[in-house]
Amino acid sequence: MNDTPDAPAVEIEHLTKVFRVPSLRKQTVLAVNDLSLTVGRGEVYGLIGPNGSGKSTTMKVLLGLLHATTGKCSIFGRDSSQVDSRKDVGFLPENPYFYKHLTASETLDFYGRICGLTKAERRDQSARLLKLVDLEHATDRRLAGYSKGMLQRIGLAQALVQNPRLVVLDEPTAGVDPSGSRQIRDLILALKEQGISIILSSHLLEQVQEVCDRVGIIYKGDLVREGKLEDLISIEDQTEIILKNASPALLEKVRALAAGDSTEVISIGRPRTTLERLFLEETQ
Amino acid sequence: MNDDQETQAAAPAENRTGYSGPALATESKAHSMFSPSRIWALTMHTFTQMVRMRVFYFLLFFSAAIILVAFMFLRFTPEQELKLLKDVSLGAMSLFAGIFAIAGTALLIPKDLEDRTLYTILCKPVPRFEYLLGKLLGMLVLIFVSMLFMDALFCTVVGVREKILVKETADAYDQELAKFPERGQNESWKEQREEALAAITNYGLRWDLQAAVWAIFLKASVMTAVTLLVSTFATTTLFTIISSIAVFIIGHGQHLGRSYFLSGAPEGGFERPLAGVIAIIFPDFHLYDIVDAVVSGEAVATTLLLQMSGMTCLYLLIYTAAASFVFSNKEL
Ligand SMILES: Nc1ncnc2c1ncn2[C@@H]1O[C@H](COP(=O)(O)OP(=O)(O)OP(=O)(O)O)[C@@H](O)[C@H]1O
Ligand SMILES: [Mg+2]
Repeated sequence: MNDTPDAPAVEIEHLTKVFRVPSLRKQTVLAVNDLSLTVGRGEVYGLIGPNGSGKSTTMKVLLGLLHATTGKCSIFGRDSSQVDSRKDVGFLPENPYFYKHLTASETLDFYGRICGLTKAERRDQSARLLKLVDLEHATDRRLAGYSKGMLQRIGLAQALVQNPRLVVLDEPTAGVDPSGSRQIRDLILALKEQGISIILSSHLLEQVQEVCDRVGIIYKGDLVREGKLEDLISIEDQTEIILKNASPALLEKVRALAAGDSTEVISIGRPRTTLERLFLEETQ
Repeated sequence: MNDDQETQAAAPAENRTGYSGPALATESKAHSMFSPSRIWALTMHTFTQMVRMRVFYFLLFFSAAIILVAFMFLRFTPEQELKLLKDVSLGAMSLFAGIFAIAGTALLIPKDLEDRTLYTILCKPVPRFEYLLGKLLGMLVLIFVSMLFMDALFCTVVGVREKILVKETADAYDQELAKFPERGQNESWKEQREEALAAITNYGLRWDLQAAVWAIFLKASVMTAVTLLVSTFATTTLFTIISSIAVFIIGHGQHLGRSYFLSGAPEGGFERPLAGVIAIIFPDFHLYDIVDAVVSGEAVATTLLLQMSGMTCLYLLIYTAAASFVFSNKEL
């Protein structure tokens, strides 16, 4: 299958994934149930949901690490079961571990090699990405001695090594300190600015709210809500009025539904719920 | 190289600043389904991994063992002494190559799965059979390099010991001659002297030793491929190791079993097809049994070496193809 110019970055159609659990009775686990979603080019898509809801499973099927039970996934129009669909993707697995016997620069060199970069490119990318994820001070240390957050950062650098057009991040900020977490958020925003498509899962809803264009809420394998962030968190049957320089007396009047006043109406719209409240509602 | 840099420089600068980085030569290239450079990267990575696991420390045991044997046993005849030295050394080489092949290989895939490092490789455009091939070749390079080291040490020790023994024997004859000068005229005594020295050289450093070392390497290669195959479907490392050892033992005994089993088996019985199946599933290590002959100073035919090498290639091909089939359908 060829890269069609207008194909979306990610297309998941009716994906179902059933795991067989090794046990005496033939038990199965339905991890993802008839899930469909599309991530447009240059879009940042957030997948949120409680533990065990099927976020990581969806991503692994997308990357060809697991086989779909039914349904199909494609990346830029190329089927996920084909190796060449992975040419333009960078993946950060959850709780990533890398080869402990390698140093940070050797790690990037290795992943660059298997992506087919030339020696000069690998050297440049390695230097650039280590700077980007703030690991310049630990370039020549073996990963065996890296902390959890440092591993997460090298994982991010590794995902970007061949300048992918799509980045798949499974909980990119897990185990990263608050300032590192903010750096990662900035990095995601910068990638978005470069037109790179991103699909990420996270439990930090505030961050998802900050960086994602669209969000899908997944619960027990079902995609229960999906949409543009503004739409999802607006409350349909209420209106919000923001007043400037309103005196307490005026507020009284407004509260009493006084109309035709000299008060300037700055904005009238839907008040926002937080993504967190929506999340809790949808996954009860 | 130069071409790559030129395209890089010529690439449009838009969208190529800050975070997203420079244009890379790979971006325009079509993806190749088979890339020797990718396989080589995986090979060297596996090799480095094993080296940094300090496996080469095992070789110190080998060195200590053969040096000890070489200079300890002085009560035998020179031939016996050299034979013992070669027996012990080749046996130790066989043992180390076997341990590397089985234990080392059995660890590779389960470790990658457990640490989830496998994900980070297979989510790149790397076909699964290339990953397996990289692991296999990495182990073969490791075994080859360690055998090269053992072989060099072994040959040095045998060579030195041989020289010493030849000199001692010649000195003994010379002393005898000094005592009984009339023996210099005795043809049969001179012949006896020559024969004694020839016997030592025959048991000494000869090219056929390299054939034995090569046979050991080939056998270890087959075991590596077998272990890799088992590890693609095994659920535990212990299972992989035990099954591979079982294959190793069956592989050694299968020619005996086959001749016993098939002698007097009726045409059209189940015995023949069963023996055929066993012969395909389990490698026949009888093929590689040249070590004993070499130790006793016999020559090895070139055709035998070619046959051995050819069969090994065939085994590697079959087992790796099977491993690749199992692995490409595996859920990670
Ligand atoms: N290899 C497997 N074998 C059997 N069941 C599995 C396997 N992998 C995942 N599951 C099951 O599939 C379901 C979804 O798991 P998944 O890892 O996708 O959840 P998640 O949304 O990523 O959760 P978390 O937020 O904790 O990371 C879980 O019930 C899990 O037990
Ligand atoms: Mg997960």
